[in-house]
Amino acid sequence: MTDQEWNTLVSVVRGETLRPVPTGFIIDSPWLPKWAGHTILDYFTSEQTFLEDNLKAIRTFQQTIFLPGFWSEYGMCTEPSAFGAVSMWEENEFPFAKKVLRSPADVEHLEKPDPRKHGLLPFVIKRLKHLQPEIEKAGHRIRFAVARGPLNIATFLMGTTEFLTALKTDPELMHRLLTITTDYLVDWIAYQRECFPSIDGILLLDDIVGFVSRRDCETFALPYLKRAFSADVTVKFFHNDAPCKACAPLLPEAGVNFLNFGIQHTLSEMRTWTGNTISLLGNIPPRDVLASGTPADVKRSVTDMLNALEDRSRLMVSCGGGMPPDVPTENIQALISTVRELTN
Amino acid sequence: MADLATLREAVIRGDALAAVAAARATLESGITPVDIVTQGISPAMGEVGRLFEEGEYFVPELLIAARATKEIFQILRPLLAQSGIKPRGHVVLGTVQGDLHDIGKNLVAAMLEGGGFEVTDLGVDVPPEKFIAAVQDKQPQIVGLSALLTTTLPAMKGAIDALRTAGIRDRVKIMVGGAPVTKTYADSIGADGYGENAAASVDLACRLVNA
Repeated sequence: MTDQEWNTLVSVVRGETLRPVPTGFIIDSPWLPKWAGHTILDYFTSEQTFLEDNLKAIRTFQQTIFLPGFWSEYGMCTEPSAFGAVSMWEENEFPFAKKVLRSPADVEHLEKPDPRKHGLLPFVIKRLKHLQPEIEKAGHRIRFAVARGPLNIATFLMGTTEFLTALKTDPELMHRLLTITTDYLVDWIAYQRECFPSIDGILLLDDIVGFVSRRDCETFALPYLKRAFSADVTVKFFHNDAPCKACAPLLPEAGVNFLNFGIQHTLSEMRTWTGNTISLLGNIPPRDVLASGTPADVKRSVTDMLNALEDRSRLMVSCGGGMPPDVPTENIQALISTVRELTN
Repeated sequence: MADLATLREAVIRGDALAAVAAARATLESGITPVDIVTQGISPAMGEVGRLFEEGEYFVPELLIAARATKEIFQILRPLLAQSGIKPRGHVVLGTVQGDLHDIGKNLVAAMLEGGGFEVTDLGVDVPPEKFIAAVQDKQPQIVGLSALLTTTLPAMKGAIDALRTAGIRDRVKIMVGGAPVTKTYADSIGADGYGENAAASVDLACRLVNA
């Protein structure tokens, strides 16, 4: 992310109305490698491919912001790998981490990993360290510490069905599990900040928060998200594209000030639920419009969304979620140009 | 019918122990397994589905209700088989190849079982050949395909195409669902029905088999 892009993001987070309204997209392995002509596995395993694909996207779409910037990741395997989860790789599929907990009682034996030494985490850091000169030569800096959220990591370790069931059947053990995943997250975020002092933002991705009731969110999500976001940084960015009506009112208290959410809710609804204290990144339908539609469909969708919105402060236009696979270049261009045209 | 009310309440609360105890008590009092399904489990899961649709229940509440239902069916299944009672239909269900997520599939399986359907759960990461074999061996009326990842959506189409190539596509209705699936996508791959969520799956399955 360039200094100018970062300043734009900070202005949005501070509640300014920008003309034109900025656009931005979360880009990572589901979209980027294939768009750039590589396999997912090549993207993960080659530093050069990672760098070239990111630079290609940045240079192709110069009028938008890619979030969180150069994001070193190994999909869903990054955080669970440090707990010893087996990572499964396919040439062109998302990697997948096998569960490490067979029952809630196994939490008793779970140890907090060391982000400096365990799993793929040193690889994440080293990739960025090795590429840092090239990234900075291109005018970009590493701005975000990035991780999956505490509930999301818990589901990787034990399975989504099992974790959500155990919230009801074994709440004490689940609190113990969430304490471990959160302690680990706090360490992991601190280590990323230590390695890259240019970091002034945290991005947490946690769809599981959207699956539970408000009461469960207060009990099992809020205290842990609060701790995970507790570092003193300017941008506290949360991604949850599951339905999040129940959890939305709690997100300001969790510290979130920038939110990417799904297409189940409108921008206006989300503003109301969050007391208009959180800036929003969204929310054109990612699959039905951005990936499968035509540029004309994208233009129509963006126009409808912006016309429905009187107040365009605290907004960065994007899709409702991360960039999905197979979004063509012309649809991204259509989104960017329509937003500029309508909000200049 | 007081025991059936207890059973329904236990299922709605997701209290598996109480649900099983209530099921045993109702059986001992002479209520038939069919009545337990039609007057106990089905309305209870219907209520759970309604609460979910209205935003009062969330996934964990659905899961523990499903768990309670599953426990009751462990007791009822052999009794239902003995009495020759036919289910409303038979659904073969699986998460498509390349996708290891099971939560949507598990919820749908529980809702369908609670709704009086027989369910054959093929698990996760199911290759097209396994769906073909299940259709040939089990002769279901419906095949349910689940996916959670955008990258595995094409595997849904792959499974449907494989059934067509095997010449057995027309033997079954196909219902699809999962977080990235939309009605538009379901139509585009030639599915017969799209379930927006697990709670809607019973109505959809009933429509597909005209039950």
